[in-house]
Amino acid sequence: MVSPSALDRKLIRDLLGSGAVVLAIAGIIAVGVSCFVAMRSAYHNLGEAKDRYYARCRMADFSVELKKAPVSEASVLGELPGVTEIRTRIQQFVIVDLEGVDAIINGQVLSLPDRHAPIINDIVIRRGGYFTGRPEDEVIVNDAFARHHGIEPGDTVHLLMGDRRRGFRVVGTAISSEFVYLLGPGAIVPDPSRFGVFYLKRSDMEAAFGFEGACNQVVGRLSPEVRDRPDALLDRAELLLEDFGVASTTPRRDQISDRFLSDEIRQLGTFAFVMPAIFLGVAALVLNILMARLTEQQRTTIGTLKALGYSDGELYRHLLKFGMVVGLMGGLLGCGLGHLLAGAMTGLYRQFFELPRLENRVFPGVMASGLAISVACAVVGVARGARGVLALEPAEAMRPRPPEGARVTWPERIPWLWRALGTGWRMVLRNILRNGKRNAVGVASSAMAAALLVSGLLGRAALDRGLEIQFSLILRSDVDLSFRDTCGRGALLEVRRLPGVDHAEPTLDVGGTFRNGPYKKRGAITGLIAGSRLTAPRDAEDRRVPIPPAGLALGRTLAEQLRVRPGDELVFEPSEGRREPRRVPVVAIVDSFIGLVAYADLAYLSRLVDEEFAVSGVQLEVDPRADRREELFRELKRLPVIRAVGVREEMIESIRRTIVDTNAAATVMMVLFAGTIFFGTTLNASLVGLAERRREVATLLVLGYERSAVSRLFLRETLVINSVGTLLGLPLGQALFWALMQTAQTDSFRIPMADPSAAFAWTLVVGLAFSLAAHAVVVRSIGRLDLQESMRIRE
Amino acid sequence: MSLQTTRTDREETAADGPILRLEGVGRTFRMGEVEVEVLRDVDLEIGPGELVVMVGPSGSGKTTLLNLVGGLDQPTAGRVWFRDRELSACSKRALGEFRREAVGFVFQFFNLVPTLTARENVQVAAEIVDEPLDVDECLRLVGLAPRADHFPAQLSGGEQQRVAIARALAKNPELLLCDEPTGALDFETGKAVLAMLWDVNKRMNKTVIIITHNQAIARMADRLIRIRSGRIADDVRQDHPVPPGEISW
Repeated sequence: MVSPSALDRKLIRDLLGSGAVVLAIAGIIAVGVSCFVAMRSAYHNLGEAKDRYYARCRMADFSVELKKAPVSEASVLGELPGVTEIRTRIQQFVIVDLEGVDAIINGQVLSLPDRHAPIINDIVIRRGGYFTGRPEDEVIVNDAFARHHGIEPGDTVHLLMGDRRRGFRVVGTAISSEFVYLLGPGAIVPDPSRFGVFYLKRSDMEAAFGFEGACNQVVGRLSPEVRDRPDALLDRAELLLEDFGVASTTPRRDQISDRFLSDEIRQLGTFAFVMPAIFLGVAALVLNILMARLTEQQRTTIGTLKALGYSDGELYRHLLKFGMVVGLMGGLLGCGLGHLLAGAMTGLYRQFFELPRLENRVFPGVMASGLAISVACAVVGVARGARGVLALEPAEAMRPRPPEGARVTWPERIPWLWRALGTGWRMVLRNILRNGKRNAVGVASSAMAAALLVSGLLGRAALDRGLEIQFSLILRSDVDLSFRDTCGRGALLEVRRLPGVDHAEPTLDVGGTFRNGPYKKRGAITGLIAGSRLTAPRDAEDRRVPIPPAGLALGRTLAEQLRVRPGDELVFEPSEGRREPRRVPVVAIVDSFIGLVAYADLAYLSRLVDEEFAVSGVQLEVDPRADRREELFRELKRLPVIRAVGVREEMIESIRRTIVDTNAAATVMMVLFAGTIFFGTTLNASLVGLAERRREVATLLVLGYERSAVSRLFLRETLVINSVGTLLGLPLGQALFWALMQTAQTDSFRIPMADPSAAFAWTLVVGLAFSLAAHAVVVRSIGRLDLQESMRIRE
Repeated sequence: MSLQTTRTDREETAADGPILRLEGVGRTFRMGEVEVEVLRDVDLEIGPGELVVMVGPSGSGKTTLLNLVGGLDQPTAGRVWFRDRELSACSKRALGEFRREAVGFVFQFFNLVPTLTARENVQVAAEIVDEPLDVDECLRLVGLAPRADHFPAQLSGGEQQRVAIARALAKNPELLLCDEPTGALDFETGKAVLAMLWDVNKRMNKTVIIITHNQAIARMADRLIRIRSGRIADDVRQDHPVPPGEISW
């Protein structure tokens, strides 16, 4: 083995000698790299699992939803250029009646071939098997629902189909790529307790719903050339099937499950660069200062080595190696930590996404990039800090460093202020202001840590506020019913007579396409009665916006996407009724955090679809007593017109459970990460300061100062710097949160800005706690200072 | 390479002309608003194998002169040659190469790398030249072989200075420049260090320049140069230099 050169041995001993400081920096780098590795790995884990799964299930590239069409007519879609394969199927919503469950459970039933064949949107059997081929009522249940309710193959489930309650024997449980993120009607988070998918034999479905030789959905796959821009093709499909009541055409990117999954993957991709960049930026800054100090401390040594004939390049490389080793340490640690974290994240995703083989794998490319990034960041930090080496003239370097300039700092020019300060504070302020550049880095670091923390904590506050606005101000009904078909006044009257109903308001949802010149968006208009109480659209200031008697109150996101403002007109093309394009004025803009909304007066909307008074759902205010509710639910299960039932409390509860719990885990991580920065930079700055001022500290101790009094000087400096940084970081964090939310928000889900005061307060507390923790280490170092040796240091 | 062969090599080159030549050399420093002329109009030739002692009070310009001939600094006026290489016209990089090949430094405060052992401190110099002397041999020569694995903090001042001499020798330079080598040492230790430099000059035939403010040391020199206020005040050849062992101060 070649023994290391003397210079390398010096490097190793320098590294060992800087112990805590090097560890603190390596720690900050490790956090940044682990962030990168975790998010990048999770990104690949999800992306690859998705691709594998989609390929295995032969995931559809588009779907067309129809009222009802003969299979022979619907099959013409298969002949369109670009369409490689289609499958027609029957889908319906049902109410599920489980033994011992009073609550309303919504279900979607889907037809599958009686005998298994490789089909588009195929299922993957988890337990049990496919239909047996025997002439029995058999069902395959989606696995998450079955797991949640403890349903096993062999059990029986009852579905309310049409006006009949039918029992089906469970032959198997399955998952499918189209339901990776499974949402029930009106839900924004998966809730397997309240929504399930039930696969029935096509023959059963045809018979049960009167669909012999007919279908109400076509799913298909596209050739690679059209896969990414299917819009023109879908427009043609819509025209071809116009006579059969096209409710919607859905390219894969608008398919709910795919959209949630793809949005998540896309966001991970963004976050994987933003978050680590912050940590690594801080690490580079801190390293920069550390290196400048190491160079300064080794002034004489470096001067001597130069005198011996070492070139600037050799010495510079020597110091760069220092950075490389620190970077490598941080990188390796970060890769390991990142892999563990990726495992945790992937585990969390398994709760949301029903994806088979979603495993935490090691991606050598990601690890290598992580290492490269950390080394690069450390080297950049070192390179700037060590530039002093190049400027150092050996003859000058070997002379003792000239005393610090006695520059007058600005507080000294304000006599009353300066007089009011004690000697301690004067020393602290002079030290801070004279070492401007270094302390600026301290301020910047704590600002970044604070910003991170604020943005993490704001997530929770914003979520709470979003839920409050959505479910206390805008949507105020206790139970929402949606009907299978559009009904008339009679349905409303019938619902009003149900037990426990205190108040009922009709709604009408009309799906269709909004157009404004080149801008086009699919969506729906919700019709409300004048002065409706249970849906109360709001503007950005939470003020109620009245529904105009004619025209639309358009959601802000939709208005922005369509580029319309109040006073403009747009064209709405309903997908029901006569389907004639109508010009409708935009009268008001409303704010909503869930979905793309558009409101209109119910009577106005009815006329738009050529009806006199149409109702597609009813919102209820119900008696809060449990027995009255149970009675209502029992009655609802008996009503064949009901397609789905949404219960507000359950919806809020499931949102809280899923999103808030995930958010809590993310918040804990954020606190630890931000804490690492607070701790690392504080420790670094204080230890650097202590090393440089050993003689000053020793002198104070010799003069008779208590060690606690001396460490208080350092504490004051730390607190001043970190407080300034943290205060700057508060608005910065708010801005960061806003920017992250811009990338995170989707059509289906947006997050409002929340009152930041609680997040600010917690950030101050966490910042203080970690700064004090770092200070404890400094106190220990002061306690162990060798007075005699410190006094002998040649300056 | 052993010490014996080196000595022969050096003896061969010793014949041809001065090793160092300064012509009208001046050095001015800018200190804030004022310019300080530290050296002015210095003409000097030093031959190979000479043991030169430069004496002068603090601030007389001795160290500046040493830095100029050692390639640590450039003159603001005049020219400096090392053999036929004009140092005053060299780039920073070329000066670095010159120091690496030709010069060994010994400093008042030893300037050892604190995180390296005695042996490693010598190695750090030996590693950057093509034909270094044997590191352990150098340590043995200064009598520090038994303490080769000690760190500077574990060595006395005199021992540290001996390591510094070993370090200077390890590169096998033609020129040994010593800036107040006994300045931080007590009398006995100082004498031992001077004896070592005397040996290096006499036995290895190196050109040794020692600067000091200690007049007594001057007696060991082949040539004594007195510097006062940035000028050479006196340049005397001493036909009978006294070995350091016989000097006292």
